[in-house]
Amino acid sequence: MASRILIVEDDERIRASMGLALEDEGYDVVEAGSGEEALVRFTQSLSFEPLDLVIIDIMLPGMDGFECCREVRRQSAVPIIMVTARTDTHDVVAGLEAGADDYVTKPFEPKELAARIRALLRRARSTEGGPSTITFGDLEIMPEAGVVRLAGEEVHLTRTEFLLLCELAANHGKVLSREQLLERVWSYDYFGDGRLVDVHVRRLRTKVEPDPANPRYVLTVRGLGYKLAP
Amino acid sequence: MPAGKRLRRLAPNRRTGRRRGGLLQLGLRARITAVFTLGALALSLLLTSITYFTTSSSIVSQDEHSFELQAIANATSLHESVYALDPAVVRENVFGLSDELRSTTSYSLIYITSLLTWFPSSPVTFSEDDLPASLRTLTLSGNSGEQTFIFRGEPHFAVGIAIPHGTYYFGVFSLSQANAELHVLLASLIGAAAVTTLLGAALGRWAAGRTLRPLRDVSEAASSIASGMLDTRLETGDARDLAVLTSSFNRMADRLQQRIERDARFTSDVSHELRSPLTTLATSLSVIESRRDELPERSQRALDLLSTEVRRFQRMVRDLLEISRFDARSADFATSQVEIGDLVRHAVAPAGHPPLSVTISPADDHRELSVDKRRIERVFGNLIENADRYAGGVTEIVVETGEHSVRVCVDDSGPGIPQADRDRIFERFARGPGTAGSRGAGVGTGLGLALVQEHVRLHGGRVWVSDSPTGGARFVVELPLSQGGEESAKTPDGGSDAPDRETAR
Repeated sequence: MASRILIVEDDERIRASMGLALEDEGYDVVEAGSGEEALVRFTQSLSFEPLDLVIIDIMLPGMDGFECCREVRRQSAVPIIMVTARTDTHDVVAGLEAGADDYVTKPFEPKELAARIRALLRRARSTEGGPSTITFGDLEIMPEAGVVRLAGEEVHLTRTEFLLLCELAANHGKVLSREQLLERVWSYDYFGDGRLVDVHVRRLRTKVEPDPANPRYVLTVRGLGYKLAP
Repeated sequence: MPAGKRLRRLAPNRRTGRRRGGLLQLGLRARITAVFTLGALALSLLLTSITYFTTSSSIVSQDEHSFELQAIANATSLHESVYALDPAVVRENVFGLSDELRSTTSYSLIYITSLLTWFPSSPVTFSEDDLPASLRTLTLSGNSGEQTFIFRGEPHFAVGIAIPHGTYYFGVFSLSQANAELHVLLASLIGAAAVTTLLGAALGRWAAGRTLRPLRDVSEAASSIASGMLDTRLETGDARDLAVLTSSFNRMADRLQQRIERDARFTSDVSHELRSPLTTLATSLSVIESRRDELPERSQRALDLLSTEVRRFQRMVRDLLEISRFDARSADFATSQVEIGDLVRHAVAPAGHPPLSVTISPADDHRELSVDKRRIERVFGNLIENADRYAGGVTEIVVETGEHSVRVCVDDSGPGIPQADRDRIFERFARGPGTAGSRGAGVGTGLGLALVQEHVRLHGGRVWVSDSPTGGARFVVELPLSQGGEESAKTPDGGSDAPDRETAR
């Protein structure tokens, strides 16, 4: 079955051309011209044919891309790619903090977008091997079941956050550099954007740390990367 | 044009000002300090000399007056006792007299005409020959007189009194005590003058600092604007006479900032506006490209032309956006700690490019460097693209490290770059002489090397061109080695989210 992708883009021509290109890649494309429309489409789709990935342009009239992203994320852990105007920290970090898993910058190469979509979808489908339960204090991680529990209560993580946690857990006590995490979690090469890792670690902390300001589990090792402390 | 006129009027003044020598060659601050110092020196010298001369003449005349009275008293008592005309009596009297006077460091001499004899006081340290000749002559001719003279290196005051009956009294008094007092006075006056001069110098320095502070503020503000801090403004202080300067300077800075920002924004706005149609173009093009084989041959050729130009257009907009961020000083700088070898090997291997040979010593390979990887990737990507396009490709890449910096040399097999063009090629839209006018296959965006320079500068490094050993051009990228490498590595968490990240400018 073809993956369903929602494109949220106010420029009709960009939307149409992206639709054509993604259909060529073999995806089912759902289009939305505004954030409001996107949410309606998204909610509709939840009941019968769930979406596999959402592409949101930040610059939208009315409800902006960040807001739209937050709304989608509130309802689902679906992979989200943001289309940002610039590579500057503000837009990228704000987009990732709103819940996006990755971003592309306009004008993007269609091939680049396709590659990122493929990476996110492949990841979303792959199942983890390894031990069934890893425990760190109050934190229980079940890679195969896709479940994380903090003090017995289930924590809802996005796919990216979950994979990040699993990757750190599989190498617990060892420091993983941002490059290693980019490669293993996002399947990126050496020149991936380290901000992806930073923002996702931050989001992960707000969910699994009792006190996100003073992390107990997901620790920063300055100059080197991150590690999961036992 | 009024501005031009004003400039012309200013120019000759500046030239004459430069020709003047002496004090004027010093800085304004030094000049003001010097003027204050010289003024204080002159004033204190004047006051010192006035004080000294009036005080000394008053001390001397007071002493002389008392010595005169003393001499007259001596002469009077002598007058009463000289009637005996017996030398022994006279001698006794004189000795008695001199005994009385011994304590006051003075000498007495008596000459009695009828005896043709001089009677010096005892002990006989002062004889008639020591008397100033003019005073002796004057007194012996019957007139009383007084004179200051030097005896044994000390100033002395002599009084000659002609007593009736052919008797002459000479009193000689030392002025050394008065002299010593005057020395003390002089010393303290010189001391006071020196202190006054120093105070004057200090006052001058302070006043110069205070007076010139607005000037210094203006020059600091101007150089900070020149170095790119466009939002630098002068504070409107309380000095009313400087308000005009301050406000016109700030107005100038406002206008300048507006203008520069408008220019930078224009480039950025244009590029932003171009992005949407470009995205549509590139995306639609990719749809057609995937069906290239279904097209007739002529359409295929047209499609290839179209895609080449759209790609170039896309790169140009990307480069323009990037360079406009440098102009607007909004370039973000995301650094991370990397090993030199890894960095260079990754950066010189753009996707789809045949591998290039990198020479690096094993010791250098693992040294760490703090860089924005995306920017360094662009730097080498652009240099390699440049070499491919204009110089027959890169022949070798050599990494050398020094104590504080690392140099990456990118050599090509082209004809090299003439000395005269070595700075120019880093300018925007500068093109090599060989390619001027002939915009053949695969021309660049014209911004590649300009961006290389901006990226390298953002890292605090330099880039320049020299000759490669094989006769081609050698582009040298010099980056500072990370200073705080170990420091940042050993710092524990501290609650920060990112292992290392900073935003510059």
